[in-house]
Amino acid sequence: MDQLVLFVTLGFGVGSVYAVIASSLVAVHAATGVLNFAQGSIALWGVWVAAELGTTGTLVLPLGSVALVDGPAPALLAVVVGVLSSAVVALLTHLLVMRPLRSAPVLSQVVASVGVMLLVVSLVPLRFDTTGAVASPILPSGTVELLGAQVAVADLIVLALALVMAAVLAAYFRFTRWGTATRASAEDETALRLTGWSPDRLAALVWFATGALTGLVAIVASPSIGLDPISYTFYVLPGLAAALVARLRSILLAAAAGLAIGVFQSLLLMMSTYDFWPIWAQAGFGDTLPFLLVMVALFVFGKAIPERGGVQSARMPPVRPPRTRPVLALVVVASTFAAVLLTEGGWRFGVVTSVIMMLIALSLVLLTGYLGQISLAAMAFAGTGGFLLSRVTTEWGVPFPLSLVIPALAATVLGVVVGIPALRIRGAHLAVVTLAGALAIQTFVFGNPAFTPFEGNQIQDPSLFGMSLAVRNGTVLTTTSFAVMVLVVVGLLTWATARLMRGRTGRAFLAIRSNERAAASVGIDVAGTKLLGFAFSAFLAGVGGCLIGYSRSQLSVESFTVFVGLTLLCTVYVAGITSLAGAVVAGLLAPLGVLATFLEGTLGVGHLYSLIAALALVITAVLNPVGITGSVRHASEHLIDRRNARATS
Amino acid sequence: MSALELKGVTAGYGHAAAVRDLDLAVSAGEVVALLGPNGAGKTTVLRTAVGLLAPSAGEVRAFGRPLPRKVEKNSREGVILVPDSRAIFHQLTVRENLSLARRHRARDLDAVLDRLPRLAPLVERRVGLLSGGEQQMLALAKALLARPRVLLVDELSLGLAPLAVQELLPIVRTLADESWVAVVLVEQHVDLALSVADRAVVLHHGRVALSGSAADLRADREAVRQAYFGGHAPEDALV
Repeated sequence: MDQLVLFVTLGFGVGSVYAVIASSLVAVHAATGVLNFAQGSIALWGVWVAAELGTTGTLVLPLGSVALVDGPAPALLAVVVGVLSSAVVALLTHLLVMRPLRSAPVLSQVVASVGVMLLVVSLVPLRFDTTGAVASPILPSGTVELLGAQVAVADLIVLALALVMAAVLAAYFRFTRWGTATRASAEDETALRLTGWSPDRLAALVWFATGALTGLVAIVASPSIGLDPISYTFYVLPGLAAALVARLRSILLAAAAGLAIGVFQSLLLMMSTYDFWPIWAQAGFGDTLPFLLVMVALFVFGKAIPERGGVQSARMPPVRPPRTRPVLALVVVASTFAAVLLTEGGWRFGVVTSVIMMLIALSLVLLTGYLGQISLAAMAFAGTGGFLLSRVTTEWGVPFPLSLVIPALAATVLGVVVGIPALRIRGAHLAVVTLAGALAIQTFVFGNPAFTPFEGNQIQDPSLFGMSLAVRNGTVLTTTSFAVMVLVVVGLLTWATARLMRGRTGRAFLAIRSNERAAASVGIDVAGTKLLGFAFSAFLAGVGGCLIGYSRSQLSVESFTVFVGLTLLCTVYVAGITSLAGAVVAGLLAPLGVLATFLEGTLGVGHLYSLIAALALVITAVLNPVGITGSVRHASEHLIDRRNARATS
Repeated sequence: MSALELKGVTAGYGHAAAVRDLDLAVSAGEVVALLGPNGAGKTTVLRTAVGLLAPSAGEVRAFGRPLPRKVEKNSREGVILVPDSRAIFHQLTVRENLSLARRHRARDLDAVLDRLPRLAPLVERRVGLLSGGEQQMLALAKALLARPRVLLVDELSLGLAPLAVQELLPIVRTLADESWVAVVLVEQHVDLALSVADRAVVLHHGRVALSGSAADLRADREAVRQAYFGGHAPEDALV
């Protein structure tokens, strides 16, 4: 019993952060209709600012820093400044990113907030010394006896703080005129302006306040949770899960659900110490909890979550189906081949990685750009492919072409499973599910020691008809034969995808993307087509994952983290998520691709890669939603128009 | 000085001008009815007058000053539009809706509920549950609470039973007489509009086709009919 109480209270620290993030998410959604994926990052920044002040007395800004006091700052000052930093990050997110996007497609809003999330998370290790940093204690360190267990006072205070903050937020919305006006703005902003209120100011206030509240609870909880350059960012997932459980309506319910997730994760930890608990469920099981919860919540409450299946059609970036252009295709293939032949070492590896990444980017173009299903899980499908590749080649000895197909089919099955929720939910909520699914796959499957052999995930080199297609040969980092194999596989799949996009299925995808009900009314099987999209997209990603596996000879979690997946989404969006050309450009920009090689090898600023990607994403999302390829197309159309105009005059 | 004045206003959507070179002045205590067929530009005039739509030419002045660019600022200064969509919030209760009205004092609520007694028992009810007529009453009550100095009402009779309209329109008249409010009524129901208005303006294709005192227009229905149809009224057309 006392152990149970102990583990329940151990969950309070992290559960309180989930709770405050969840209640903030509901509040921001009420004020602006945005699901803010960056809420965890907002906490992360404040936590690090406070920790740095607490140890060195220096206030770190995104650029430059100010020495506020000599030596460690007093705890109160550190907390206050940390809270303000979180609040300012939140306010800037609203003013610079989300407000310009307020009438933009949901996809733009999701990727923009993902961009902010990545921006902060890539900025933290650059701006703070994250090795061995410790958050200095803020709360009293004593314990009290509760139901026979010694419970840390700090955990109880954090819990009380989180609950009070949620209550304050709820009271603001329920009992104040400003809160009432904010609720009204969710319904009709123009009507609210006609009533004499500025929706912008109300929203700014909510962003600032929720940033401050999230920062406060996270900072106060950080000594017991621990400092980490990433984890707070992904606390947004349990937060999102809790917010969806509360149907994005009740702040108090969201807080309670967040707290419950924290406590339940702690209890899972306790159970994993028991003998009866299976070894495979010891690691990462807690991270699958938000995913399971979101799935259940969305299935049970599916109808009551606002903005679901609205009659108005979803607005998405414009699409132009691929045309048959054999010459252009030939030029692209030939120049890629030339690039392979003309390069060596790291550069050739970069070129080949770009080609592989293009395939995974293509899976996103198909699923998100064409079918309109916002998926943040492409990299998890790829990872599934890669990890199974290790199994089928080392344990079963499956030969080369088949060794690509089996893992890719397994990824396809997983894709369909993750796609099933998409039959009931859409837009930003689907993004939450896929992100939660990706994180669950990452920690529970890839990161699970029980599934990883002692010697790591080795992969047998491929060979065909006795000819070795191995990526390495002696000192050669990337062999020509491997590069050609990659080119052939990617080329064939791209051709098949282009045909699919151009044909009947592609039209059906576009119809579903613009309006599911209208699509159904003209006889398109919406559910089947959606699942087909998820399946095909996961297949492409799975093959991509296998090729990554072959190119490394050994696989690790790092190649397929959620972080890499989100960065890839950034590059695809920046390049243009609605076109084949976008996928090609995204391949060049992708992690470890040509651009990354250039930044790392030539400029020596490889550590800035994710920061640059995130910044590019945010700027693209706000200023240029059609992406690089879209603006190139606009420019060329403009030139053609002018030429035609001149010709006719 | 006019409470509301439009001088040479051209306004519209994209390249299409819905109102062309319009002059309109409304004084305090005056009720002006804005009439005309569908697409004549009546709603556009109201949207421009409250600042929802910026005129592409000409000027809008309220209380002698150029209209501020922000709609919410106009509303706080007493230029209130009741749009045909009613500008009420269905997720909130009647009381919450009324509490959002700017400029109002606590005792104003009782006065407004006195004028609209049928709303009084409904104050704790969610607006989504009210009937169309009750919602229209609420829209008017919310506008009255904001103590308007210029009240712009778009199609008060839209979707309402004639009896309900006969209840609401006189309230607008009283407001002009007692509280010295300048009122612009956009109305399809010509007889009703002319019965409460001091003056009427008939728009056709965004221009003034006819204007005059309500009494004159009531007497000369043929002129109104001609104006409605831009001077080529079919013999059997009714207005």
